[in-house]
Amino acid sequence: MGFLRKILPPKEWQPVVAVLMGAIVALGLYTAKVANVTSYLSDDPRTCINCHVMTTEYITWQHSSHRGVATCNDCHVPHDNVFKKYAFKAKDGLYHATIYTLRAEPQAIIMHEAGQEAVQNNCIRCHKEQVTDAKSVSWVDSHLSDRLDRTCWECHRETPHGRVKSLTAVGYHVEPLPIKEQQELFVPEWLEKATESKKPTP
Amino acid sequence: MSQKKNWLLFAATVVVVLLLSLLLNNIINRKAESQFAYQPQVNIDEHESRNEVWGENFPRQYQSFMRTRDTSFVSYLNGSAMRDALEEDPNLIVLWAGYGFSKDYNQPRGHAYAVTDIYNTLRTGGPTGPGTGPMPSTCWTCKSPDVPRLMNEIGIQEFYTGKWADIGAEITNPIGCADCHNPKTMSLQISRPALKEAFEAMGKDINDATHQEMRTLVCAQCHVEYYFNKKAPGGGSQYLTFPWKNGTRVEDMEAYYDSMNFSDWTHAISKTPMLKAQHPGYELFMTGVHAARGVSCADCHMPYKAEGGQKFTDHQIRSPLANVANSCQVCHRQEKDDLIEDVYQRQRRIKSTQNELEQLLVRAHVEAGKAWELGATEEQMKPILQDIRHAQWRWDYSVASHGGSFHSPVEVSRIVSTATRIAQEARIKLARLLSKLGHKGEVPFPDISTKEKAQKYVGLDMQKLEKEKEVFKENIIPKWLEEAKKRESQRDVEKVSMK
Repeated sequence: MGFLRKILPPKEWQPVVAVLMGAIVALGLYTAKVANVTSYLSDDPRTCINCHVMTTEYITWQHSSHRGVATCNDCHVPHDNVFKKYAFKAKDGLYHATIYTLRAEPQAIIMHEAGQEAVQNNCIRCHKEQVTDAKSVSWVDSHLSDRLDRTCWECHRETPHGRVKSLTAVGYHVEPLPIKEQQELFVPEWLEKATESKKPTP
Repeated sequence: MSQKKNWLLFAATVVVVLLLSLLLNNIINRKAESQFAYQPQVNIDEHESRNEVWGENFPRQYQSFMRTRDTSFVSYLNGSAMRDALEEDPNLIVLWAGYGFSKDYNQPRGHAYAVTDIYNTLRTGGPTGPGTGPMPSTCWTCKSPDVPRLMNEIGIQEFYTGKWADIGAEITNPIGCADCHNPKTMSLQISRPALKEAFEAMGKDINDATHQEMRTLVCAQCHVEYYFNKKAPGGGSQYLTFPWKNGTRVEDMEAYYDSMNFSDWTHAISKTPMLKAQHPGYELFMTGVHAARGVSCADCHMPYKAEGGQKFTDHQIRSPLANVANSCQVCHRQEKDDLIEDVYQRQRRIKSTQNELEQLLVRAHVEAGKAWELGATEEQMKPILQDIRHAQWRWDYSVASHGGSFHSPVEVSRIVSTATRIAQEARIKLARLLSKLGHKGEVPFPDISTKEKAQKYVGLDMQKLEKEKEVFKENIIPKWLEEAKKRESQRDVEKVSMK
């Protein structure tokens, strides 16, 4: 308790300090809310377009066959254990946030080494059975390293984002929102109304 | 407590609050910035029929759509070029004697020509003003995104009432964006009542469709068999209807038409109450193997394409054979030439059986004409005409869906065989009747080896028709275009600007 007594202000000053601390905390909370920070704990791909610089990556992914099976985090953060996952997310996220805040983002975003390693491991995580052969492992010593050491995108260069990924590579798109979230029916309202009167009565 | 320490604490707080405020300001700024990055140029309103306005927001899709103007691709049966089908096969003129198609019938060009080509075809004749000309306003239904706009303005029933020339000034934009897309979400949507109503007639709700099914159904708004119902409730209209109530097979629709005694026209030579199959592309496609595997129209006719970093749907809707790499070869790992040969082989074989069937039908019409000439009674002719009606309907069904012999070769072959049997029936009955009427030997067959000869034989005055068309194109179309331009110039486009 000695420590607490040391930092606590004298009784008569405590209300003033409380008000000032409250102001700072409120400012912090508001900043967190504006920055939508809780979304960063989730796996929702739309978190990645909180900032618009990732729109190109988001749209190219949304036009790829991976959109139905893998989200951003499925490929871009490690999945071997949950602590590593969040540690990586935090490290990567803070790095992105810093560069973005400093307005230092490059025109074309390219993965760094740590990111490449994570992605490569995740390719293997899902596709291992497709690229390795259990029988061959027993008689070809180098089978696993032959098959798994080279990065997948050395050949599959368009998977899944395509090859050109500058900030201006994609145009205006409404895709950021999944279709069914925006629209329930395939018949527009005017046509529904105009044909309603003629519906056969059962 | 030292004074110095307090000052330090003060300075630290200043720094923390300052940095926090700076960060907050930065976040808010960049959020505002993202409101403008990747934003549209214009707001597209609900009934925007001008394709170029949509093109402001979606330049890639729009530019590829504009390439449907390309007329350089020719395949074995179709392609995107202007091909005179009557010139290539004058038999058609006799088969359609007394009907508009014997005047003029070209293989279709791309969507961008939808309005131009309906201006030019002799089938729409040479109206001299509102209320004139051979065709009803319903003929516009599949030509333009102006159609849903106008239907919303004046009413569906009203749209289907009157002559083709009555609303010429309202419809100028060729088939485009608003025909298939929701302007807010760009999701696919149905813009024509006929498909929705046909689904209801079959007891289905089109809103239950999946996205993949919609990639076919938006095409099925037009590429289907249809007729103009003159007895629709309300009266006075020629209500566009798909005859799907009993089902979408050729026999189902035949029974539907028979049950209501419907005929498109009466044949000029045989006096048969005929049915004209339009283009049952959707119905036949659905019976084929690609449909069974869940492939949609857009998968092959609008394959994906990459430009810059963006992958998008190629809106140059065309024959997949013009772009085998992006269409067929996405699934089929064969050589391009082998794949094309596979298609042509099916088409060639079916075409040969269709040609034989055509010969039977042309002769049946001529022989029926002879029987009437020799004084046959309606009673005697009735079963024969019924056979001719059914046989030609089925023949037409098999040829009019342009891609049918590839989309569903087995079903098309089946249809051709049943039609051949019925046509033979008709000719056997005719032979019996002719001999009863005292006719000996073969009925003389006219020379219909060229388009000109065949059109003369069925009694068409082509010079008159062409003259009328010329006058129409010179006097009426410029007026329509001018009126449309004026109307559209009064319609504002709301710009989305950074201000």
